[in-house]
Amino acid sequence: MTFHEVGVEVEQARVVVPTRSGWRRLRPGDWAVRIGTIALLLGVWELFGPSLNKLILRPPSDIVRAFFELLGNGELQEALGQSLRELVGGFAIALVLGLVLGIASGRWRFVYNATDPLVSALYSVPSVALVPLIAVAFKSFGDPPRIATVALFAIFPILINAQQGVRNVDRQLLEVARSFNTSERRLWTDVIVPSATPYVLAGVRLAIGRGLIGMIVAEFFIGLVGLGYLIISYENVFRIDRMFVPVIVVATMGILLMGFVQWVEGRVAPWLKRDQ
Amino acid sequence: MIVDRIVVEGATKRYAAVTVFDGLELAVRERETLCILGPSGCGKTTLLRAMHGLVPLDGGRVSIDGSKVTAPRRNVAMVFQHFGLFPWKRVGDNVAYGVELAGLPRTVVQERVARYIELVGLGGFERHYPHQLSGGMQQRAGLARALATEPDILLMDEPFGSLDAQTREILQDELLRIYQRDPRTMVFITHSIEEAISLGDRILVMTSRPGRVRELIGVDIPRPRTVESVIAHPRFLELRDHCWRLLREQQVIA
Repeated sequence: MTFHEVGVEVEQARVVVPTRSGWRRLRPGDWAVRIGTIALLLGVWELFGPSLNKLILRPPSDIVRAFFELLGNGELQEALGQSLRELVGGFAIALVLGLVLGIASGRWRFVYNATDPLVSALYSVPSVALVPLIAVAFKSFGDPPRIATVALFAIFPILINAQQGVRNVDRQLLEVARSFNTSERRLWTDVIVPSATPYVLAGVRLAIGRGLIGMIVAEFFIGLVGLGYLIISYENVFRIDRMFVPVIVVATMGILLMGFVQWVEGRVAPWLKRDQ
Repeated sequence: MIVDRIVVEGATKRYAAVTVFDGLELAVRERETLCILGPSGCGKTTLLRAMHGLVPLDGGRVSIDGSKVTAPRRNVAMVFQHFGLFPWKRVGDNVAYGVELAGLPRTVVQERVARYIELVGLGGFERHYPHQLSGGMQQRAGLARALATEPDILLMDEPFGSLDAQTREILQDELLRIYQRDPRTMVFITHSIEEAISLGDRILVMTSRPGRVRELIGVDIPRPRTVESVIAHPRFLELRDHCWRLLREQQVIA
């Protein structure tokens, strides 16, 4: 008789199917409510908006028309290309620098002490207040200061979360690793990196929102280009229908990027599925 | 001839003002199961960690096979009360962990993982994540991870302490069977008298803080054993009452 013939069957019947917090996984009914709410809002806006304020509350149908106008004359594509360039550049810098500094400061006391006061100070100051300074520092109104602005806005959630992720590694698992004679390199790949991953991804999600704000703010303050320029220029001439187009494009970018990060999370951290 | 594998001499451990244990002496023999039984807070878990070189002592020493323990050794493996499985590794990868770190070739790792997963009755669950398993199955994986390194010495830190009574008994039986097939030196921490009698060749009863050896009891119940056969054995009740009395003395002091 082999060892597992006794009693195991009893236990195997209790394999846990992860149903906990299943409400977070969207069901068809959820989608109906989500889309229904937006449709209702747009309907009310379309019907009653213009009668409240004809100038500002332009109906959604006007905005759709404006969207195709801006698409037709190429303005939207050009502005979007410009803005995306800043966003991608700034976000890449924030990601690399945030991860490096966050992980290093989470692991080594020296780096933590060296960076923490500066990080706390910069994180507490409203980033908007620093944007004019960035333009001055770069002595330019080109892409570099705008990219730097996006990086400044986006870096802190990534840095701080990476730091916390590294510091909050389960001490029990660290002991397990020691007990099996881990090497430093394997300690990182087996324990520290995977346990910090959910923190980092949460930081990246927060950073997306802040990065988009940074992008628009930079375009307001530094050189007037991209989607920020479209917003300002059409607002100044009271073409509120056209002004709404870049606003909605930015919102859509936010939704798509968040969805992308969620997809990445499912890829690199499949063990977290139990919480979704 | 009786060979001592682990020898603890004058072991002392303090945390700030608290003396966990002071001048502790004990020896674990080749291929025996020594159960360490004691009230919570008597330092039995700290003692086990000191035997593995995970916790430094403030006085005295632990030696394995005659040399002083300063860090975990490859021929010693530990099973944890909290299971200590990596939530991001599948069962197969968790079991492979210790063998991989031992630097064995991939084919050996695969063969060991398959064999020990089968041995603990987890066949078919290699691709599951720990959170998809019950507590009992998680600890089977923890046990397989330790066994797969084929250690000479197994250190068990209340491994079944967080399981329900039924699962606990099933796993105790499995452990007895695994011992029967391939006896190894084992130190087993527990606060359950029944568990200590079922599994142990000897039981070391500790006093509460500061932890000292209250008594070393030989369990004269023959192997092969099952939990059922131990409980039915005439010596069981006497041993249990004896252990009870020793532990109750401590409760009064505590």
